[in-house]
Amino acid sequence: MDKITIQKELTDMLGKDALLSEELDLMYYSYDSSFFTKLQPASPYAVVFPKSTEDVQKIMQFAYQNDVNVIPRGAGTAETGGSIALEGGIVMDLSKWDEILEVDAKNMQTIIRPGVVHAKLNEELAKFNLFFPPDPGSSQMCTVGGMVANNASGLRAVKYGTTEQYVLGLEVVMPNGDIIITGGMKSRAIKNVSGLNLTKLMVGSEGILGVITRIRLRCFPKPRARGIAMAVYDKLDDAPATVLDVYQAGILPSGIEILDNSAIKAVNEFKPHINLPDAEAILLFEVDGNPAGVEFDGNLIKELAGKRARSVEWSTDQQRMTALWEGRAVTATAAARVRKDGTRVFAGEDISIPISRVTEVLRRIKELGAKYNIPIVNYGHIGDGNVHSAPVINPEIPEEVERALKLIDEIHLLAIELEGTTTGEHGVGAVRRRYASLEHGTALDYMRKTKEAFDPKGIMNPGKLI
Amino acid sequence: MQFKELPSVKEQIMKCVRCGKCRSVCPVFAEIRNETAAPRGHVFMVEMLRDSKVEASQLLYDRLSNCLMCETCSANCPSGIEVHKLNAAARSYIYKYYPNSTKDMIFDTMWTNPGLMQKTIMMMRGAQKTGMQFLARSIGFTKYLPGDMSKAERILTDIPSRSARHLLAEGYRSIGERKYTVGYFLGCATNLLNPQVAVAAVDVLIRNGCDVIIPSDNKCCGLPHLANGKMDTAQELAIHNVKTFNNYQFDYIITDCASCSSALDPKSMQFLLGGTKDEDDAQKFAGKIMDLNRFLIEILDIKLPANENASPIKITYHDPCHLANAQGIKAAPRELLKRIPGVELVEMKDANRCCGGSGTYSVTHYDLSMQILDHKMHNAMETGASKIATCCPSCMMQLRHGIKRENWNAEVVHPVELICESYKGL
Repeated sequence: MDKITIQKELTDMLGKDALLSEELDLMYYSYDSSFFTKLQPASPYAVVFPKSTEDVQKIMQFAYQNDVNVIPRGAGTAETGGSIALEGGIVMDLSKWDEILEVDAKNMQTIIRPGVVHAKLNEELAKFNLFFPPDPGSSQMCTVGGMVANNASGLRAVKYGTTEQYVLGLEVVMPNGDIIITGGMKSRAIKNVSGLNLTKLMVGSEGILGVITRIRLRCFPKPRARGIAMAVYDKLDDAPATVLDVYQAGILPSGIEILDNSAIKAVNEFKPHINLPDAEAILLFEVDGNPAGVEFDGNLIKELAGKRARSVEWSTDQQRMTALWEGRAVTATAAARVRKDGTRVFAGEDISIPISRVTEVLRRIKELGAKYNIPIVNYGHIGDGNVHSAPVINPEIPEEVERALKLIDEIHLLAIELEGTTTGEHGVGAVRRRYASLEHGTALDYMRKTKEAFDPKGIMNPGKLI
Repeated sequence: MQFKELPSVKEQIMKCVRCGKCRSVCPVFAEIRNETAAPRGHVFMVEMLRDSKVEASQLLYDRLSNCLMCETCSANCPSGIEVHKLNAAARSYIYKYYPNSTKDMIFDTMWTNPGLMQKTIMMMRGAQKTGMQFLARSIGFTKYLPGDMSKAERILTDIPSRSARHLLAEGYRSIGERKYTVGYFLGCATNLLNPQVAVAAVDVLIRNGCDVIIPSDNKCCGLPHLANGKMDTAQELAIHNVKTFNNYQFDYIITDCASCSSALDPKSMQFLLGGTKDEDDAQKFAGKIMDLNRFLIEILDIKLPANENASPIKITYHDPCHLANAQGIKAAPRELLKRIPGVELVEMKDANRCCGGSGTYSVTHYDLSMQILDHKMHNAMETGASKIATCCPSCMMQLRHGIKRENWNAEVVHPVELICESYKGL
């Protein structure tokens, strides 16, 4: 079916206010945060804004009957090209569909539509003294639907894990328009082992199996206290060693973050009031729980970190904690500030390696930066081995782009070599699909067979994940 | 300077990583909720335009114009991109391909000529006073006005009979020992719509040791032109104002209007006149520009004597975008209000969120502007205040319209009006 007919059919089906079809408007959906779409933006045939399961069902039935690709999209904040219509098709922007249907406080769960923004969900849950623990740096803008589709996590994954641990059930519109409920049709249970676990399959499936239209999420009680320790290092290698010391002392912080010297500089440029000390590296330990426990853990971390660090600051002051955590949260995009004529690119930015190899990976990434003559800002969730590397380049110089692409490939291969993975939390999308075979071997065949069983026509978000 | 050669267009676009932080703060995006209204979308389109991947078109102009120029995105951009400048430059570039004679008349002919501007406003006052505006509205004549003007004409509150130019002399001596000689940059809207603000400002300045000169031939600051695709005209106005004020030996150039001070500050002057022969003169001028609130607090540190008879009054403060986002001035107006005997300052939720006025935006995008205003009014009314203080004539007009729409018994004032009243009440 040609583009014009698709647009006309969708307009008749949904009304003209529920879609975009002007060529110019479609270009706004040709990108996400990835370097990949910066280099190769791709416009869809139409963008639709469904606001009911029935809308989604109608669109899927139409797409299935006419072999039209459908690409679900949240806020478009991913770094993988995952929500881009690389092979044409309909982009389904679900970010407007943002109702919090229910906070079932007595059962410690909430039921929401996919477009709810992460920070707004936690604002609402806070009224019930609850929270949804995964804590992405993009909390202010990313949708929970996108988090589920990518199994996102963030700064507190060390203690609280990833999104999948909180998804109790989903409503999904399948490629042929069927509607299924995973996690039990009427279930409000927290534990549930009946049936094959389709919920787990859907979480992190990046839109290649169906469209998530409703999410039942587990919530946790909000911790009563929190504190942050900042350890400052003159030698980068000393930082990962402290992480091990803390674990071995029996402490599980809610977050352990690292910023290297470039990341420190970037944060100070963007938010001078945070005023991070000049150092080779900084570790931020967040601990939460009951006040006495937080104080105990904080003091012990201070003592342990003090053996290797130049200085350690322990704070339970709300203002200081907000500043320090904000500093870490903004590093991803503030990294652009370290070079006047350059920017950070989101590519090779999400490797995850065993904790024991963090020191090695940081050293080798530095060596790669030197090899390709590209500055790299390193930061990330050192507590679980998820390192975010930010190459800083001038993307308008083709030769520099070429060098960056080679560097990025080497970073991905390095992660696999060091018994890690190319992505810890951002997803595969279009940009890391080429490593799927290397990472998964024959398991990839079974992933593809699973996809085929759900989506025999291959219309759901083609060209992504597997 | 050509659009594609502007430093911001050449250097800043590449910095956008499209993280979407701007989606979470943009007041227009909050209403429209699709990517065509996202500031990162504007940056993307400016890039496409620069690289000739899209052509200049009316549709693109319309998309880019659906932006308040409130600078919330710029102030919050982790990569430090001045989105509003990119947007303004692109609008002007496109406008050259799609000129509009009505706009030319308004922005090039009338809004560059203070005398003509005054006559036009006074004619509008005539229409208000003779009931013609009401009559035209009643018989449906206003629906023939272009664009959103048929709805937006309601925003224009009662036009005063005399402008600030008529009420004020060109120069005033300080009362008591002179500390500073200041030039007063009289903005168009203060002059014609809020002359009482200018009168109060001069009164407070001279009471606090300032000789005040109000050059008779200053023109518009150029911000409305920049927002409406008229960058060339904005540059001409800037050159005129720079020459006018540089003829004097001022210690400071003060303005009560948040938009004027933001449009005349060093960053804006660099954007308009950087790389031209006027650059140095422009920076000399811009280096002296200061917002009135900041001047009263940070430079003069004015003190108001205690007054036990002062009536208690509950006030909430609205941050004008061009003060808070563009210049980072949030504390000074609040501090001023707190120093006034009897004033209880009650913060509204999201005080730093745009009211939707933003100069001409409320005229060109009336319905959206009202949606944005509704949030502001809700938050302001929740405080239980009887006055909203703010420092921008466009915000003042918009908030007054909001008060009327809500049928709320409250007033909108500039802090300096209250300071002036406070002196007189002693």
